[in-house]
Amino acid sequence: MSFEDVLAEHARRRDKALGMGGAEKLARRRAEGNRNARERLDLLLDPGSFTESGLFAAGIRPEVRDRTPADGKIAGFGRIEGRMVAVVANDFTVLGASSSVVNMKKIRHVKEAASARGLPLVLLGESSGARMPDRMGAAGRGSFGQDPAEYQRLRQSPWVSAQLGPCYGSSTWYACMSDFVVMRKGATMAVASDRVTAMAINQPVDAQTLGGWQLQTEVTGLVDLAVDTDDEAIAAVRRFLSYLPSHAGEAPPVVPVPPGSDAAGAAILDLVPAERNRVYDMRKVIGAIVDRDSLFEVKPRFGRSLVTGLARLDGHSVGIIANNPLYKGGAIDVDACLKVTSFLVLCDSYNVPIVTLVDQPGFLIGLEGEQRGAPGRIINWMNALQLVTMPKISVILRKSYGQAYLNMGGGRNSDEVACWPSADLGFMDPVVAMNVLYGLKEADDPERYHTLHAELTRDTSPYALAELYEAQAVIDPRETRAWLIAMLEVHRLRRTGGVGHHRLANWPTSY
Amino acid sequence: MAEIRVRSEIAGSVWKIEVAVGDAVAEDDSLVIIESMKMEIPLLAPQAGIVTEILVIEGEAIAEGDIAVILG
Repeated sequence: MSFEDVLAEHARRRDKALGMGGAEKLARRRAEGNRNARERLDLLLDPGSFTESGLFAAGIRPEVRDRTPADGKIAGFGRIEGRMVAVVANDFTVLGASSSVVNMKKIRHVKEAASARGLPLVLLGESSGARMPDRMGAAGRGSFGQDPAEYQRLRQSPWVSAQLGPCYGSSTWYACMSDFVVMRKGATMAVASDRVTAMAINQPVDAQTLGGWQLQTEVTGLVDLAVDTDDEAIAAVRRFLSYLPSHAGEAPPVVPVPPGSDAAGAAILDLVPAERNRVYDMRKVIGAIVDRDSLFEVKPRFGRSLVTGLARLDGHSVGIIANNPLYKGGAIDVDACLKVTSFLVLCDSYNVPIVTLVDQPGFLIGLEGEQRGAPGRIINWMNALQLVTMPKISVILRKSYGQAYLNMGGGRNSDEVACWPSADLGFMDPVVAMNVLYGLKEADDPERYHTLHAELTRDTSPYALAELYEAQAVIDPRETRAWLIAMLEVHRLRRTGGVGHHRLANWPTSY
Repeated sequence: MAEIRVRSEIAGSVWKIEVAVGDAVAEDDSLVIIESMKMEIPLLAPQAGIVTEILVIEGEAIAEGDIAVILG
């Protein structure tokens, strides 16, 4: 056989493998408006940068070997904005991208390369779960579970998952382990499909109710962001990664500061009402402080009384934690506690310093919180906060009451604290305190009430805090951006090249 | 469109009703302002719709989870 013949045969095999589930299935997908796995990779990766791993992998059972190109999961390495990443793209046109022996070997390989060599891992999810009959019976049990480290999450490098269709099995399990999960609306993520669930519980159930974007972004918080299309999901993946280093051993990239970033601060006084009983949207305030258009919110639909998001100050990545009085007056509920805890883990693990903006009346008090174990969630947050080794810089805008004052970086839970002149430091709302301490309501004895009330509120000013050096500065609100940039520069981890000690690196991925 | 029950996220009292039955509202429009923790906190429309029912009156107490407005 000549080389020509061999190469011709090779080309034939290669084209067949690249053809995924075949022309008919691909055409149907296109007609439905769905991108296929290789199109998604083209969108995700810099042009021409993809090197595939395991194109000629195939199903383990002889009878499917000929119709399982790449064994239904496309793996390999490519670049995103010039930086190398590891990727897995599920090919739903091949046996529903179901998991089996060979394709899970591929995932294991790129996953291990990512962790060992310091590459982010991107997982494009759409899978029908375990492949049958491969996973059936004792032999099926023996076909997986061969890697005792498969579910360790040590955060050596960032993992990002995009849920782009029905995600059962590995697409969901690895999403739960990921640092960021984006879901295209209409996709689903759940333990079992609507069909299997309906059979198990003997009543009809809707796929979106079981695992759709509203459940996962608003109720469970398992998905960080919901978008309308594959293209938006992939853009979100690229944008998220741009704030982070390729791996935990280096500082995040520094980028140019967009023109006009210093201008927005002048109008900051227009964004926060002078009247203390009026609320405002903290996201607008954040926008006036960080580099222009740099806020990338994480979990915007979950625990909304607190904002978590990646942003930049002077071209450097920061993690923003900020109460949002627009929701629940900024009172901190259990969802907010969960959200901020996982955000601290994210930032600290990838060397992103924390900036906290405070305006909160305390933890939200009520039955639902207690039934969800609020004390435990509050302390989890403190556990995480105090394990952070990245710099923590805090600005108190208005209220900071109660135990939550500590969770929001009060005292030595921040490296530097500044207050706006409008800051109000107390333990609880004065009206409640009057009742608790003196059993007194205003109507009962107005004169005595006002005397005692004046005493209680006398020492809540930011200058009282600054006198004790519990705040290192009281600043004009318009100076917030400049002060933060200066403090972040002071506290940059020069001695370790911007790299922290990662004491949160093996924190659980869900709780 | 399925009806959307807009529930209060906090306990407090109904300070001001900002809409009337029949009004078209956009996502994040303020429907009712609730007074709680000495703040005026708006209850926002979770998505666009038409106000079909208002279940609260100004001045009365409202608990976390109480339905304030129904959108259709």
